[in-house]
Order: sequence, then structure tokens, then C-alpha cells
Amino acid sequence: MKAIALAAVVAVALAQPAQAYLHFTTTRGGESIVLKWQRTPVRWFARERGAPGVSASEFQAALARAFATWEAVPTASIAFQFVGFTGAEPFDDDGISVVGFQNQPGMDRVLGATGFLIDTVTGEIVEADIFFNSALPWSTAPAGDPAAFDLESVAVHEVGHLLGLGHSALGETEARADGGRRVLASGSVMFPIAFGRGVTHDRELQPDDVAGVSDLYPDGNFRRQTGVARGRVRRAGTGVEGAHVVAFHPETGRFVAGFTLNREGEFHIAGLAPGPHIIRVEPLDDADTESFFSRRTPVDISFQVTFHNRLFVAPAGGDGDSFTVTVTPK
Amino acid sequence: MRRLEVDVGGGLTGGGGLGGGDANLRANAQAREAFRLFAADSEFARAPAVHARAAFAFTRRFTVEGGVTWSRPEIRTSITADAEGAAPVTSVERVDQYVFDASVVMMLDAFRLGTRLVPFVAGGGGYLRQLHEGQTVIEHGQVYHAGGGVKYWLLARPGGFLRSAGLRGDVRAQVARGGITFEDRPRPHVAISGSLFFGF
Repeated sequence: MKAIALAAVVAVALAQPAQAYLHFTTTRGGESIVLKWQRTPVRWFARERGAPGVSASEFQAALARAFATWEAVPTASIAFQFVGFTGAEPFDDDGISVVGFQNQPGMDRVLGATGFLIDTVTGEIVEADIFFNSALPWSTAPAGDPAAFDLESVAVHEVGHLLGLGHSALGETEARADGGRRVLASGSVMFPIAFGRGVTHDRELQPDDVAGVSDLYPDGNFRRQTGVARGRVRRAGTGVEGAHVVAFHPETGRFVAGFTLNREGEFHIAGLAPGPHIIRVEPLDDADTESFFSRRTPVDISFQVTFHNRLFVAPAGGDGDSFTVTVTPK
Repeated sequence: MRRLEVDVGGGLTGGGGLGGGDANLRANAQAREAFRLFAADSEFARAPAVHARAAFAFTRRFTVEGGVTWSRPEIRTSITADAEGAAPVTSVERVDQYVFDASVVMMLDAFRLGTRLVPFVAGGGGYLRQLHEGQTVIEHGQVYHAGGGVKYWLLARPGGFLRSAGLRGDVRAQVARGGITFEDRPRPHVAISGSLFFGF
């Protein structure tokens, strides 16, 4: 889900993250099963109705570009196929994946959302639908329209969900007077809060997005070319759950991030470029924690932003040395 | 006048900037603007170094030598100006660094000081190999150097297995390219060393 400001994540009660990047999972017999497409190409239909300012064919073309953006990731293996236009609605459990506009004036902060039909035994995604809220203004102008949200940018985000990616917390926000949050900056297409009207930056995937999709659908070289950071975040001897752990590669300026996902404060971040990284740990306070985790997860946000005092060296393939970052209370 | 000389010693490899800059996110603006999450600036710290060289004197004035220098400098990254007010910190990593190089050495007999002390100038280049902490990632580069020093003979005789021995001091201005760097630019630094040499 991409929201104008704060909004609950779509994850259809499935957002129990199992590892870094918040891949969607389901739980069976106490075990987490990662949700992903197991048969490709993923076949998708476009709804035959446009929205003010966006015709059905412009909509389909923007969505096709968004799918192609993910398909072009060289270290991931995923393919899509546009089947045709349909009169079916998104979110009907009809066995076909439909993307399209729907008028939802009551959801005035929600630009779009993705829903799934899954096989709860295998974790296979069998259907995923995306809706875009036509109650809000949209544009497919190549350079963006300052009066409208960029459809392709939001579509890239929603297709990330369709693939099984959850939200990234790589971004900074500020509180608004109306209680929501305004995004100041982001380092990932999968950040839960959209850029403002006219901003087209999210047409391009960021390294964090590439790492996330490559970890989910790795091609032959991804595991060999990139390294994994593993470690713990602790405070006063106990693990910190829900901490956001950011790895920054000074040589390339790339960010890839993950989360601590259990009470031991353990995290792992895959897809790191070989070489030294700066490790920054921050509380999950730039968006509603439910944008990332289920309500049952006791996310701890009462600690200070902390840098690890060692540079972490990611190997080319495999795990680097495990490390612990100790944070202090706010 | 064709003689072999070996030389072992140690010294100090000077530090130098590795570059850095801002860790930027994409700002929420139509134009491509950066939002600085924090600033990072990295450097190699000074470190002790040991070396071994072998030299071959073609003439009384000119010698060609090759050798290896090993050091374990730290990379120190200063992290400041965090957007959320994190305390500044210096993150470190220790690197194993090897330089395999070759030099041409010219003895400056005209500037000889007494009978035992002779200054020289030298220049050359070599291969830089750096292993990150954990020794799983290797970086490659080149090092070029120019400098000089003095040799002080403790022993000098025309025959026998050991024909000379003495002390040597070097100062080198070095420029490294490639290897560990966060900016694509040469990294100048200074190295000083002292050694014992033996001629055969």
C-alpha cells in the first residue's frame, strides 16, 4: 500500500516478516513461509476503465513499465505477462491478477493497495490484485504533473508488494499538523509513504529494492556476488525487536536495510556489495509501525539512533562476521 | 660491479584520506535533490610497516631493487551530522596491506658525507594488495613512489661471502591508486623506514 501519509500496510493479515526487507510471510505450524510466486511469468490483467486524466491505455502502459522495471533487475529472476484488459474488479478472488482504478473516496490517504490470494501450505501467491484510488489525482506525464500523483511511481511500489515485498523503512518523515506524516526523503521505492505530487523518483528502483527482490527471486549470481550482514541489536543485555538496521556502502553510496525480527534482536541483510559498510541502527519512528509489522509484534522504538563502532565488511558471497550493536535508551 | 644486496627493516606508513561524503537519500522534491542522512569521511591511519627488499647493483651508481612491505593500517570513518541527531562516532576496520614494488636507486656519490655515509634518490612503483577485515575481500591497486635517503656502511670489503653491511634510512612520497578508496582519486602519503642491509 502506498499512502499519501500514514496508512496501515496491506498485507492481508500476512505481514509477519521472516527476514530482512520484510518479505511477506504466512505462518504454518509455527514456521514462517515466505510468500512468493512459484510459477512465472506472472500473468496480469488491466482493468478496462481509466480515471480522470488517465485513459485505460495510458494506465496499462504505465503499469507495463512498472512491471518491466522489476523484471529488469539483473540479479533477480521474475517475469510478467500482460494478458489483456478485463472488466473484473481488483480484489475479487477470481483466479486472475487484476490491476486497476477503483474510486475509494473514503480512503483519502490511500493511493493504492495490493491484496493476495495465497496457498497457505506452500506460500505460493496464486493471485494478486492492485487497486489505485481514482478519488485522487493521477498523471502519466513523462516529467510528472505537480498537481497529480505519478502513476508509474506508485505502480512500481505496488508491484513490489505483488512480488511479495513488504515495506522498507529507508526514509525520513516529519509530523504534520493533521496527525499524518510528510515524507522528507526516502531511499527505497518500498518506503510506505509516497513522495508528493509530481515527484517521479520512484520510477527507478533503489539498491534496497533490488536487494529485496533479488533475495526473494535470486538468479544464479546474486548469492555469489553479494554478502550478508548478520548480527544483533541489544540494549542493556536484551534484544531489541523491530529495530531498523541500515548498511551504507561508502564506495557506492548505496543503502540496504533490514530489521531485527525477534526478541533476540537478530537481523540479517542480504544483497550487500562486497566491502566495508557503515551500520546505522534506528528506531522505527518515521511511519506507523503497523506499516511494517503486525500488531502482535512488540516493536521497540525507545532507543537512540546508533552507529556501530566497527565497519562491517561484506564478503563476495556468504556471511560476514556476526556483530552486535548496543543501543541506549532515549 | 654486480652485487646482490638484501635489506630488512621497518618504519611507518603515513595515513591519508580515502574520501567520503554524504550518505544521501532522495529528497521529496520534483528536482533531483539529496537529503543528507549523515556525513562520512574516511582515512587510513598511520601504521607500522615491515619490509624486505633484494637489490641488484648494476653499477656503482645504479641499483634496481624489489621488495614487499606489509602493514596493518586502520580505516577510520568519521560519521557526523546525523539527520536524527545520532552522536558522532568513528567506525574502524583493520586492513592487511601488502605492497610489492620495484625501484631504481641512484647513489649520490658526489654528496658523500665522509667515507661511510652516502645519500641516494629512488623512484618506482608496484602492486598494492589490501585484504579487508576477515580476509574475504581483496582490493587491488598501484603505488608509485619517489624519495631518497642515506646508506651508512658498517662493513665494506672487496671479497668474502658478506661483502658489505650497513644501515639505511628512506623517506618516500607515495601515491596510491585503486585499492580501498571511496573516491576515484590518487591518495598521496608519506612513508619512512629504516633497515639493515647486507651485500653479497
